[in-house]
Amino acid sequence: MNRTKENILIRLQHIDRRWIYLILWLVVMIPLLFPFKIQPRPTPPVTQLFNYIDTMPEDKALAISVDFTPDTRAELQPMVVSLMRHAFAIKRRVGILAISVYGLGLGEEAIQQVTEEFNSRARNHEDSVIYGEDYIFWGWTTPVLTVMLGMGERITNVFPVDYYGNKTETLPITKHIKNYDDIGVLVTIAASAIPRSWINYAQTQFGVHLSCGITAVSAADFYPYVNSGQFIGMLAGMKGAAEYEQLVRQRMEKNGMTWLLRNRGTEAMSSQTSAHLTIMAFIIIGNIAYFAVRRKRK
Amino acid sequence: MNIATDPWIWIGAILTLAIFSFLYKENPFYRIAEHLYVGIANGYAITFYWHRVLVPSLFDRVGAQTTPLSTKIWLIAIAIIGALYFTRFIPRISWLVRIPIAIVLGYASGASIPRAIDAEIIRQLKATIITRHSFANWQAGIWAVIILLGVIATVSYFFFSTERKGILKPLSYTGIIFIMIGFGASFGYTVMARISLFIGRLQFLLGDWLGLIK
Repeated sequence: MNRTKENILIRLQHIDRRWIYLILWLVVMIPLLFPFKIQPRPTPPVTQLFNYIDTMPEDKALAISVDFTPDTRAELQPMVVSLMRHAFAIKRRVGILAISVYGLGLGEEAIQQVTEEFNSRARNHEDSVIYGEDYIFWGWTTPVLTVMLGMGERITNVFPVDYYGNKTETLPITKHIKNYDDIGVLVTIAASAIPRSWINYAQTQFGVHLSCGITAVSAADFYPYVNSGQFIGMLAGMKGAAEYEQLVRQRMEKNGMTWLLRNRGTEAMSSQTSAHLTIMAFIIIGNIAYFAVRRKRK
Repeated sequence: MNIATDPWIWIGAILTLAIFSFLYKENPFYRIAEHLYVGIANGYAITFYWHRVLVPSLFDRVGAQTTPLSTKIWLIAIAIIGALYFTRFIPRISWLVRIPIAIVLGYASGASIPRAIDAEIIRQLKATIITRHSFANWQAGIWAVIILLGVIATVSYFFFSTERKGILKPLSYTGIIFIMIGFGASFGYTVMARISLFIGRLQFLLGDWLGLIK
């Protein structure tokens, strides 16, 4: 190894981390502005959840528990949006609640976005989604244990008033969603260990079907629950969200809804791929430099 | 280019850039954004709990004439027990804090332990048992065997009561391999998560703020 080569390798090991940040910034930003076509292929846990919801009996509702906070919005919000789109596209009722106080605003944001998408394109009353008939936002209450166990008895006891202050007993949807028996699947979207609590309390006691959407950080922790069948499926991180978005897009097109909707998860996949390739290159270059210099010194 | 006119998006964008400025070096803009975040998050939670929990569940019910006297007594007693948390600030009577902690711990443990044993131990153990159904197709069969081997090997690595000799030696080494693969998967997912969060912020800056994403 000549001297110049060795100098480069040594300098590589002591490179100012800000150069790495700058490279990553560019690698993520450029594909967002000039995306290349990338089609996420749905993995089995995502397909399992999609198929389950897709074939759910008409009288069963989809419940979504918004259990995350704004810091993980980028990964998890696209899941809430695509789950709602899916349920509305196949005309299933939706009930939304929040275990985290900070999840309330995120739930409300998703509801406004998706209902606007459907109602602005509705040609008649049948096509539109109506609050209190097709969906309900139960809101938040405390403590967690009371919510998870109480919903198995009677949801209106846990949420006597909804997020908007309406008495839940007076809403028509309440006749169809009384407790877990009327819920086809409850999907907890979380960035914490809350999905485990749903299993421990709601599923063990009442047998409710569960699934989860979680951040990529916690994906490895929740795979065993998918393997054991305690979760019907799982959406892991932004990639999981993108996979679900693709399945929902296909389903909506099949139903004649060829709408151009923004899919934030799919939109991010070219950046994600570029960033992963760059990080892999960094790891390989760093290791080569480390071992080459170490061998030389020996 | 279609720059946002909503002032809230501008505030969000400026605060995002202030936080990102930490990547260059520590600076006052980052500090301001960080303190604002902590303050607003706490302020939001405190006012929320006050208006959505304490007022409707305690003050309104105690003040209502329709609430039976026995319920009022219960509510007041529970509120007093809850308020004992604040005795931590008075060293002379700080031991009283143990009362609400003991109640919460007892209640939570009683409710959790039996269910956790069922959901987290028995159901997970059942998932590792190989039956005829595990071999419904050859792929599922291979995974079932790998999972069983992984569980036995990993558990044997954490078996410290005896020296690693005989069968325990290769088993615990196999356990290390499984543990390392697990760590690698976790680390890979962590990288993916952090990049996703960064992408989310850039989607906001380039899309919602600057209108550059079509």
